Amino acid sequence: MFDSLYKAFLHELRSISKSYYKISLISVLPIFCFVFISLIFKDGVVHNLPISVIDNDKTQISRKLLSNLESSPTIHIANTQTSLRNSLSLLKRGDIYGIVIIPKDLAKDTLLQKNPKITAMLNSQYILIGKILTSALNNIIQASSSKIQYIHSLHKSKNKYITMNSIYPIKVQITPFFNTHQNYFLFLVTALIPAIWQIFIIIATLVSFGSMFKNKTQNQFFNDSYIELKIIGKLLPYTIAYFLLGVFYIFYIYGTLGWKFEGSLGVTIFAIFLTTVAYQAVSLFLFSVSFNYARSLSLGAVYSAPAFAFLGVTFPVINMDNFAIFWRNLLPISHYIDIQISQANYGAPITIEVNKLIYIAIFWLLFLPTFFLFRKRLKK
Amino acid sequence: MNFITVFLFELKRVFSDITIVLTIIGGVILYSFLYPQPYINQNVTSIPMSVVDLDKSDISRKIIFNLNATAQTDVVQMDKSELDAENALITGKVKAILIIPNNFKKDLLLNKSPTIAIGADNSYFLIYGAILESSIKTILTQSATIKVANLLKSKVPLSKAKKAYTSYSLNIVNLFNPQNSYTQYVIPAVFILILQQTMIIGLGILGGGINESLKNKEDGYFTSAPISMMIVSRFIIFGVLFFIHILFYFGFTFEFYHITHLSSISMLLTFSIIFLLASVSFGIFLGSIFSYREVATPAILFSSLPLVFSAGFIWPKENILDILIYLSMLVPSTPAIDGFLKLNQMGASFDMIVNNYTILSVQTIIYTILGYYFINKKRKNSVKI
Repeated sequence: MFDSLYKAFLHELRSISKSYYKISLISVLPIFCFVFISLIFKDGVVHNLPISVIDNDKTQISRKLLSNLESSPTIHIANTQTSLRNSLSLLKRGDIYGIVIIPKDLAKDTLLQKNPKITAMLNSQYILIGKILTSALNNIIQASSSKIQYIHSLHKSKNKYITMNSIYPIKVQITPFFNTHQNYFLFLVTALIPAIWQIFIIIATLVSFGSMFKNKTQNQFFNDSYIELKIIGKLLPYTIAYFLLGVFYIFYIYGTLGWKFEGSLGVTIFAIFLTTVAYQAVSLFLFSVSFNYARSLSLGAVYSAPAFAFLGVTFPVINMDNFAIFWRNLLPISHYIDIQISQANYGAPITIEVNKLIYIAIFWLLFLPTFFLFRKRLKK
Repeated sequence: MNFITVFLFELKRVFSDITIVLTIIGGVILYSFLYPQPYINQNVTSIPMSVVDLDKSDISRKIIFNLNATAQTDVVQMDKSELDAENALITGKVKAILIIPNNFKKDLLLNKSPTIAIGADNSYFLIYGAILESSIKTILTQSATIKVANLLKSKVPLSKAKKAYTSYSLNIVNLFNPQNSYTQYVIPAVFILILQQTMIIGLGILGGGINESLKNKEDGYFTSAPISMMIVSRFIIFGVLFFIHILFYFGFTFEFYHITHLSSISMLLTFSIIFLLASVSFGIFLGSIFSYREVATPAILFSSLPLVFSAGFIWPKENILDILIYLSMLVPSTPAIDGFLKLNQMGASFDMIVNNYTILSVQTIIYTILGYYFINKKRKNSVKI
């Protein structure tokens, strides 16, 4: 009985070894995509964002402020402009991401304590870049402003301690949990790679079964006996390959690159295994709806391509509508990513992952209707 | 064979193929509905946070009240100790903790600058950013109130005190996407990619299918029809269909998702035409090298995420390796997304996107020539064998 499973497994292995396409689906192609995505975000932090400045004051105070801006790693003063018109055109061209305008009489008004306003016009169409610029500018300008105030008040009180405290009546201490370096590589790559990985599992499963039905060799392969076991045998090489790719990815990020993995690697790897098979179940189910190679690929595309947006890593789940949450729940990868984040980042107790693991395992049940549909189809 | 005959053959081959029709019509409509779903609420709001108030004074309560009043954060629980709050964070009940220390009010009055501690989940950058924005704003406002009060105590008149609490301040103007809407950020870019991808899947299935038929020695118009006529037919069929899709996207869906239009219709449509030409030629080229119909969908699917993230609207192009930028420039979506964003979201004029026109035109020429070459080659090979 299990002999037929083993034979189907060997049969698929042989077919993989004969097809460049199938080999690359489990090796070169996913690895190329993983590397490409990692390389985009290799710097991890955004740096040297070009901006223009318009200095209408041209005093020691304004020059000091500009040099503070330039010394920030996030910002790079690409050019100095005299008119807003020119700078706006540079902004629209995408040559710069922001314009900092220093008002006339900055120095004078500062000394007169009139609270002059520095204006920054930012390109917020690119939200991520806009937000990073906003926080960098806020920090620099607040720091430089306080420094002036400090010197100013020092003349009056002479007590350094009291002066500093009067500038900052309340101190704020910010502790980022879980990604202390504010690294976008960790934010995005750890979600993008799983999102690409699930597309590959869907596609490889469809390629394997689709090409068999297209070449009309299914009857010869199944030969009307132990259909379920043969399906499992045929899926097995891909289960192993994608499970290993998933594990490889985790070790690449948290092993080689040295990011700390707080929680249980065991649970995460188990989740990778459950997810691999869950996707094979979904994929084969999508195939058994039509048994048409090309059409099942289109279905697989609709199902897997937008997954990244639903993960909640960029736009948060708390702000998603019911339909988006419903669709998100239909994607095993979203439950996987929840486990990965809570294990890798929070080091959460394993018990709270049980529900999510069960959720992923529920997708395995799709094998039941799939087996039924295969039987029905093969009887014809 | 005259042109009309070839055109009708191509038209029939496209529209009698259910998979192609599902992709180039069904897919385009489905994605326009499905893809924006996660972002429909546009902004990050109501992030749950926990406050540990060890002071329990009127000022600490005021801070909590103001924090709760911001759009970004909701104080959903008050914890007795830091440990309780951290547990809530680890189990995902809250995304941030704010701790107001013992004797906060007393230290404030003694001018001892007490410290408020904020711990925020940095696993999700939008959540982290929003928490920081709302809590820092709340605390700074409170800080400024105290400073003004102190100045008043030292006999500074109110009108002056209101300004003198800081030397100078920053006024940020968010151009192009003033509400920082996520829909406005993602949709204009991703829709361009969806148009391109669905189109080249369609053309890929068509071209790959013909190559397959040639290999199987099937008979049909594709063995003898002039290749230039086949190519022109595809430009017309896919160009016209996707021009309608573009009208649907820019006209209906942009309106529906409240996305701004800064470009004039004529400029937008002119740029759309060059984008369509480049995409059709790219699809013809890909179709000519695919050896069977089912290669198209996977090939295009794998490329989607790398293409989105190297397009420069998420991660700044200045921070991406040149080689990746050049690679992505081989695909029409990269210069197209950049051009459409500048035109329609940022109000650029024609001369600001000349480069985008140039790249798309060069792509059109090169891919058309390559497509012609490979279609011809595949046809000759099939005759020889």
